[in-house]
Amino acid sequence: MEKKNNKYHNSFPLDPEARVKALKTILETKGLVEQEALDEILDTYQNKVGPINGAKLIAKAWIDSSFKNDLLEQTEKVLTELNLSGRQGEHVTVVENTSEIHNLVVCTLCSCYPWPLLGLPPSWYKSDAYRSRAVREPRKVLEEFNLLIPNSKKVRVWDSTSEMRYLVLPQQPEDSIGLSEDELVNWVTRDCMIGAGIPKRPGKFND
Amino acid sequence: MTRIHDMGGRLGEGKISKEDENVKFKSKWEEEVFSLTIAMGFSGLWNLDASRFAREALEPVDYLRFSYFEKWLAALINLLNENEVISATKEKNSAWFKKFRKLEAKNVSSLLERGSPTLREGIKKNKFEIGEKVKIKNFHGNEKVSGGHTRLPNYVKGRTGRIIYYHGTHVFPDSHAHFLGENPEPLYSIEFVNQELWGKHYPFSEDTVIVDIWENYICEKI
Repeated sequence: MEKKNNKYHNSFPLDPEARVKALKTILETKGLVEQEALDEILDTYQNKVGPINGAKLIAKAWIDSSFKNDLLEQTEKVLTELNLSGRQGEHVTVVENTSEIHNLVVCTLCSCYPWPLLGLPPSWYKSDAYRSRAVREPRKVLEEFNLLIPNSKKVRVWDSTSEMRYLVLPQQPEDSIGLSEDELVNWVTRDCMIGAGIPKRPGKFND
Repeated sequence: MTRIHDMGGRLGEGKISKEDENVKFKSKWEEEVFSLTIAMGFSGLWNLDASRFAREALEPVDYLRFSYFEKWLAALINLLNENEVISATKEKNSAWFKKFRKLEAKNVSSLLERGSPTLREGIKKNKFEIGEKVKIKNFHGNEKVSGGHTRLPNYVKGRTGRIIYYHGTHVFPDSHAHFLGENPEPLYSIEFVNQELWGKHYPFSEDTVIVDIWENYICEKI
């Protein structure tokens, strides 16, 4: 085989299922991994963390202006107190959508995403198309999410190149004003906390 | 001088597919690759920056044709091989085994809650201030390791932007990924006007992209 000038050689045939099985067997035989730990990791990201964590923050920020202020100004303190800090959310900045600015978050270099607040990212967030296009043509990308940003509004795209993670604080919809915190949680979708959506009346499909 | 993972602004990509957007893992092996990667990440043999480098250093053709978790798998295999984990035995490599930290189930939740913060306070005084305009170096790549890891996206190389946040000094990935120390650098969020990045034909003069930039990537104040 031709030797390539690259530290890593990856032209191995890919039968991922068999490879992972073999790899796991080797690591287990050597006593380097334990199944219970692997199960615990999966359980955390499949069942324990998800967009509901972020949604609760947003709903509280909508009805409590002093909390909103702390969430924007002292984000890490607030998240630590609420036990919402953690892996891939060690450092967080919250960016607020207003009548003048719409924020959108991407990671062009890989797939950085605030895990403790939103869980694992949706497939499109990790896609080549989103990573390539979100910075160059954000308005066209947003149109594909059925979001038409008025010409008068500024679009700001946050490229997560460091360990700082970004969470969008969406604008509260007019027709949700007066609702309780618990009711408002259901209006906050995952996509609107990435900036690829706006809060929606529960039960209404993203049409 | 870029690698295939540095995709920001690349032309020719099609529409964004929402297919399976809520499916976290498409199969059992994807779950296993994910949990093994996280578990081995706590072994102390490598760090998150090295792990990112292992994924982005895949050959371009593989990077593009592999699915997301196939990339994770290929990177994990490469990291294990590089650290001689596969070939190691307790008899031959006792020092290596002593170094290895096995992840135990009872520690998983506390380790995930702690994460790996990268802020290192009081290490270095920031040279630049919020509001200042700075130019990014017209050099893209790792300055110490040829072809090494960097978190400077190619599309801001040589461009001018305005500092809007200062985040303190953070572990410098270009160094950390190659086990050359944390060498924390001041970290800024820098806002670039889209017309500066993509040309005057970008139709909205107010639109911007914000990129997190370590001080080492900055050339000078404008």
